[in-house]
Amino acid sequence: MKITLNGKTIECDEGRVIYGICRQNNISIPSLCSQKGLRSEARCRVCLVEMDGKLVTSCSTYPKEGSVIVTDSERAKNARKRNIELMMAGHAHSCSIDPNANQLCKLLKEVGLTEFRFKKTRNYKQDLGSSVVRDNNKCINCGRCVDTCSKIQTINAIDFAGRGHNEHVTPYFEKNLSDVSCIKCGQCILNCPVGAISEREHLTEVIEVLKNKKKHVIVQVAPSIRVSIGEEFGYEPGTIVTGKMVAALRKCGFSKVFDVDLGADMTIMEEASEFLERLKKGGPFPMITTCCPGWILFMEHFYHDLFNHMSSCKSPHEMLGMLTKTYYAKKAGLSKKDIVVVSVMPCTAKKFESKRKELESGVDYVLTTREAAKLIKHFKIDFKKLSDEKFDNPLGTSTGAGTIFGATGGVMEAALRTVYELGTNKKLESPDFKVIRGMDGIKKGKVIINGREIKFAAAHGGANVRKLIEECHDYHFIEIMACPGGCIGGGGQPIPTNLEIIKKRAEGLYSSDSKDHLRRSHENPIVKQIYKEYLDYPLSPKAEKLLHTKYKKKSEF
Amino acid sequence: MQILKKTQLKALKVARDIGPLGVIERLNKKRVVGRGGASFPVSDKWKYAIETKSDKKYLICNADEGEPGTFKDKLILMKNPETLIEGIIIAAETIGAEEAFIYLRGEYIGLKKILESKIKNIIKKSKTNISIDIVVGRGAYICGEETAIIRSIQGFRGQPYYKPPFPPVEGLFRKPTVINNVETLVNISQALYLNDYNPDLRLFSVSGAVKKPGVYEFPLGTSLVKIVEEAKPRDKVKAVYFGCFGGCMKYKDMELTPENICKEECVHGAGTVIVVDNKTSIIDMAYIISKFYTFESCGKCTPCREGSIQILLLLKKLRGKKAEKKDLDLLKELALHIKETSLCGLGQSSTNHIITALEHFPEEFEELIIP
Repeated sequence: MKITLNGKTIECDEGRVIYGICRQNNISIPSLCSQKGLRSEARCRVCLVEMDGKLVTSCSTYPKEGSVIVTDSERAKNARKRNIELMMAGHAHSCSIDPNANQLCKLLKEVGLTEFRFKKTRNYKQDLGSSVVRDNNKCINCGRCVDTCSKIQTINAIDFAGRGHNEHVTPYFEKNLSDVSCIKCGQCILNCPVGAISEREHLTEVIEVLKNKKKHVIVQVAPSIRVSIGEEFGYEPGTIVTGKMVAALRKCGFSKVFDVDLGADMTIMEEASEFLERLKKGGPFPMITTCCPGWILFMEHFYHDLFNHMSSCKSPHEMLGMLTKTYYAKKAGLSKKDIVVVSVMPCTAKKFESKRKELESGVDYVLTTREAAKLIKHFKIDFKKLSDEKFDNPLGTSTGAGTIFGATGGVMEAALRTVYELGTNKKLESPDFKVIRGMDGIKKGKVIINGREIKFAAAHGGANVRKLIEECHDYHFIEIMACPGGCIGGGGQPIPTNLEIIKKRAEGLYSSDSKDHLRRSHENPIVKQIYKEYLDYPLSPKAEKLLHTKYKKKSEF
Repeated sequence: MQILKKTQLKALKVARDIGPLGVIERLNKKRVVGRGGASFPVSDKWKYAIETKSDKKYLICNADEGEPGTFKDKLILMKNPETLIEGIIIAAETIGAEEAFIYLRGEYIGLKKILESKIKNIIKKSKTNISIDIVVGRGAYICGEETAIIRSIQGFRGQPYYKPPFPPVEGLFRKPTVINNVETLVNISQALYLNDYNPDLRLFSVSGAVKKPGVYEFPLGTSLVKIVEEAKPRDKVKAVYFGCFGGCMKYKDMELTPENICKEECVHGAGTVIVVDNKTSIIDMAYIISKFYTFESCGKCTPCREGSIQILLLLKKLRGKKAEKKDLDLLKELALHIKETSLCGLGQSSTNHIITALEHFPEEFEELIIP
């Protein structure tokens, strides 16, 4: 098909929207509301171009043979500018403060909008959830959070309500996010172009407690942070910055920096033992992993029949937090109440998890990756100039198996390494289970253990999770992560987070694993030591008390 | 009135005798066009739906008559529902739909019971296997827009979506769907059966500053003065509005054809004529209509959602004699911007009344601004 684009005649495929054709031809058009992989609803009207003398949205208009498209005419530019100006009337945040704060701010600069002639019209109450906070006064009704929640995560916790200029995003009946079946995954935060949704910040509390000299403040860092926090300081996505991250956190004033990878190794020990026990007892299968607090909420709200299929293990950071307050406290001669544990997590649901009543939490505060970066910036630490440092002992030694927890399929792979070797007393030729890696929505595989075929699968992202759960009874062992990509695509990760960036972060994790000389959780000397000195053996009564938890049925609405 | 002539299921017999292609040919020959406002030939719309292969197809009768000053469909629903239901059956059988819906305006809920008993009766008499359900709207003006109707029937928020896909290709429940207006469907029955069927007769809902508001039937091209005089204006007439979305023009002797109305920068629409007399200020009209559009905007796209409230604020300023020249310029610019960049027909025509008022009655705006 031939069309004329900005005066040049070009050949293009049929069935592509103008926006895509322009990108192919290196013409950039500003856009806000459309999301990759989803049908654009053409709400924001920012990507207007002229086609055959009419203004059309390039995200949703298909050109015809011989169409004449102009993207940079004064008329199109003015129309785009006007719509952004109108949007600003409904956007209470003053974007001039930080021109790089969000996508809308950048857009203002891009189109050169400086004059705002319209009266501001919004006045909403904030929705202060336990994990996710929404401010409708900043919202521009682009609908990306709604699309993410309903189409990618299939949770439908938020939707539009009200008409005309009173239209706004809200949970049903204007409830708070905490009171509805929101799984707190925070994917809406990653997709909001104006910062109207964000995590419930615990920065001030952490800064305050760091000043308290009587407290022994310990920070522990999740596996996926080391490949993502660098992005906040100008590194390429996927760069492994473990050493600098540890040094920076130590500089912030934390007395110890522990590694949640060790918690992950502990989780594997408990989970693998639980699975081997189920193999002996004959079920119930499938056993489903419980590292992801978003998934736990998902299950508690929507899948009440899966309760006895869930592993009873706490998530890795909760395990480590508990061990810090018991095992480490005893060892270091500290009182439990003097220890404050701060987790740096890629996740907003972990904030909720640490306040769960069903779970005696060892973690006092949870910071997201973004908050941790803010903390480092708050103390004016020059991240790039730091020299590498190591995690503190004793809770700082980990294996590659713990590291790959951050990517979808990682928990399953780490568990299989241990399940196989502990179950068969044979060593795996290669610890790699490549079938369970990658960004496919659902990944499946088989392994033979003691002559028995074990079917396993992993799913990530709400829509895929629902698909896998439909057929879950075909499997023995299932890993579920609520966020697309697993923790590396978590709701607390640096913005932007998209598929390409997630892939790079995954590469970082897997390369770190392959370079590690310890790649099996049961080979971790500290894990062995903890069992020897404190917990006796996996699934011992002491371990059950400290490292395992229960779940609670919640309403579907 | 031709529109009230009943066809007594004889049109359905004709339709069954000549078959779908025969029906389309006949409707094409008799020049039956959509009466919802766009005047799109009925035969073309149906042809798309017939040509699209699908296991299921739907027919929707648009009875969400929400346009202020328009009440012709109500007259039909009250006085000639039999012919309408016959038209629905003909349409459904022609395009191959087994399910049909009447999307009834929420405010017309009083008509639902009578309609339901008539439907039951006629379905029995006509021996058709088509089911006709009435879906009652919840009072949103936007649900007169065809894609919004589709979403509303499916149980979603009544908000429009951009086309393509067009409903005859992919509509209700993602199946080919034909949406026709009440007046159109009655005309279909009549065009097939009445020997003296006149396709040029149109219904006009006349209201405003008149003593005899009501629905009048005139051929296309009747003089505006004749139509207005028929309704007995109360005072000297200053302007007429072609519904809220059609815009306004100075009252003068003119043949009412879509082309002539277009010359006045207005839109013909669904035969609505609101008469405005000398005592009424155009600014007040603009304010009232803008208030309506601000309330009825669905909120989906930026220009209509944010623009409508800004227009209202500007008009408020103007009425309070606090506006300056630059505010008037902004009003003009904004009105044009909303028309050009909104997503659906509602947004695109929501400022016609301001654009035409500024064109035909600029002095009324200018005398209010601070010099």
